[in-house]
Amino acid sequence: MASREIAQYPSSTRRVLSVATIIFIAFYLLWTLLPFLIMFLSSFKDLLDAFQLPAPGDWGGVSLLFTFEPTTKHFENLFVDLNFGTYLGNSLIASLGSAAVSVVLGSFAAYALSRFDFRGKNDLFFWIISTRMAPVVAVLVPLYAIFRSLDLIGTLPGLILAYTTFNLPFAIWILKGFFDNVPYAVEEAAMCDGATRLQALRMILPLVAPGIGAFLVLCVLFGWNDYLFASIIGSGGAKTLPPATIGLVQPQNIQWGSIMAAGVVTTVPMLFLGLLIRRYLVAGLTMGAVRE
Amino acid sequence: MTDQTMAAGRGPSADSGGVKRIDYAPTALNPKPSRRYYIWMMAPSIILLAGISIYPFIWLIYMSLHTVGEVNQPDVWNDFKNFTRFATDGKFHNGWLLLLQYSAMCMALEVGIGVLLAVILNRSKLEKVLVTLILMPMMMAPIITGLVWLFLYNGAFGWYHWLLQSIGILGPTSVLGDSDIAMFGIVAVDVWQWTPLITLITLAGLKRVPQDQLEANMVDGAGPFRNFVSIALPNIYPFLLIAVLLRFMDNFRFIDAILVLTGGGPADATNILPVYLFDVSFQYFKLGRGAAIALTLLLVTIVLGMVLVKLFEDPRRKIKHTGFD
Repeated sequence: MASREIAQYPSSTRRVLSVATIIFIAFYLLWTLLPFLIMFLSSFKDLLDAFQLPAPGDWGGVSLLFTFEPTTKHFENLFVDLNFGTYLGNSLIASLGSAAVSVVLGSFAAYALSRFDFRGKNDLFFWIISTRMAPVVAVLVPLYAIFRSLDLIGTLPGLILAYTTFNLPFAIWILKGFFDNVPYAVEEAAMCDGATRLQALRMILPLVAPGIGAFLVLCVLFGWNDYLFASIIGSGGAKTLPPATIGLVQPQNIQWGSIMAAGVVTTVPMLFLGLLIRRYLVAGLTMGAVRE
Repeated sequence: MTDQTMAAGRGPSADSGGVKRIDYAPTALNPKPSRRYYIWMMAPSIILLAGISIYPFIWLIYMSLHTVGEVNQPDVWNDFKNFTRFATDGKFHNGWLLLLQYSAMCMALEVGIGVLLAVILNRSKLEKVLVTLILMPMMMAPIITGLVWLFLYNGAFGWYHWLLQSIGILGPTSVLGDSDIAMFGIVAVDVWQWTPLITLITLAGLKRVPQDQLEANMVDGAGPFRNFVSIALPNIYPFLLIAVLLRFMDNFRFIDAILVLTGGGPADATNILPVYLFDVSFQYFKLGRGAAIALTLLLVTIVLGMVLVKLFEDPRRKIKHTGFD
């Protein structure tokens, strides 16, 4: 955007301002990254090293944060002794499964909502999105009862269904925006050429595919990071990473090393996914209200 | 996007040059898909959503009107006792008050810092890199966030505990152990995790601010601050409003981090309503009372949701004719 460049002349206030912004950014970055740094470092530290803390006011003691013998024993503990491989698998299956179900069902519903006008459509639409906005804690008890009567407690299909409760309305809401942006004329043209209505739908799928892909990833992220559903619906046979990590917090013995390692295992894949769909992140997290 | 779309749509017909040209009414030749076709497409989603929303909702109302019995005990109608006891339930009042306080503090800090950050980043050459770094906390599972901060705040070996003591603003008690400052402790975590969202949204809004207006304003002698207040702010205002409402509703929904960090303590200092609700339902198993509390929470959420949907419509329309992406 060429017109964004507005001629600016250096002045002393401007210089002070630019130094101030650099300091602000530096502090903000520090504030953002420090918890990650400490999590990563602690996951490779022996607990004795991890608990080393300088005396208050001893600023030189910051070096203690970086002086340690790296060890991978916490990760070994997780995967060899504590069965985290299974939990990782459960997390993966549940979040991927729910994302797939949500996006497939959601695409059909979103397409229909986008192309089909009927009375009460807005009310229906509001109802769909309100199911997503409802506080999870509020509906957890009845959902638990329903899932129990269906014998779905502690099973992966149960967990997939549970995640779908928040992913499906989200998918419908977002994907409708995508379909709205493809003119109906495209399908009309295809149908004039003799395509059936399903073939016409298939024709416009490539146009919305990147968006659908991005929101599939976002649904995976939501499912992966969920704790409340996972701990109540998945308890027993379908433990995922978040409840498994909480399981390491025992009243008399908080296994900090393993917790930090589990934190790394849970967080790193999501950081990459976030990077992957960076462009759709804002739209995703604001339910499509804001697009970059 | 629109142009591509059109081209792609015309593609096949352009290729098949030998297509017979007939005078036709498209609707007659290939009827517009019928109602039934669309209804079938929507049906699975609608049925599934109804099953997991309407049914639980009715159940919730039923529970709120009864004293829900233990296993195999009958539920007893209790003449709205679950609701009338709100009047004397101090923790319920406290919970709402704390929820509002907590949300207000989070909003103020997140919007303040987030917007400032966005304005700075918008003019930075390193915008891409910095944004990527800054949004990292949003990707972390709230429960992991809670655990990491619990570690950082720990009174014996937490680095943030040490940092706050070194600066001289914290006594020997840990942040989460002191009922006067525990609330700030959990606000800091929310600010850490969600300020980037406000920044991203504001950045998206700032990109849409008409440059010609900014220039005209500068020609008229406005400085950067004046420019921001009178041109940029009105343009990003609807986006900010949506962001704030979304965050507000998320404060109702996500209590994972608070459950880990304080569990509502110390001395109920962080016992915001959703946390109290969690305790009533899952610690004391007073499911009837829990349902009544849940209904008040749902009511507020629905009202907020209606406001939000109204807001959605405005920026959406604006985006339509500027094109997608």
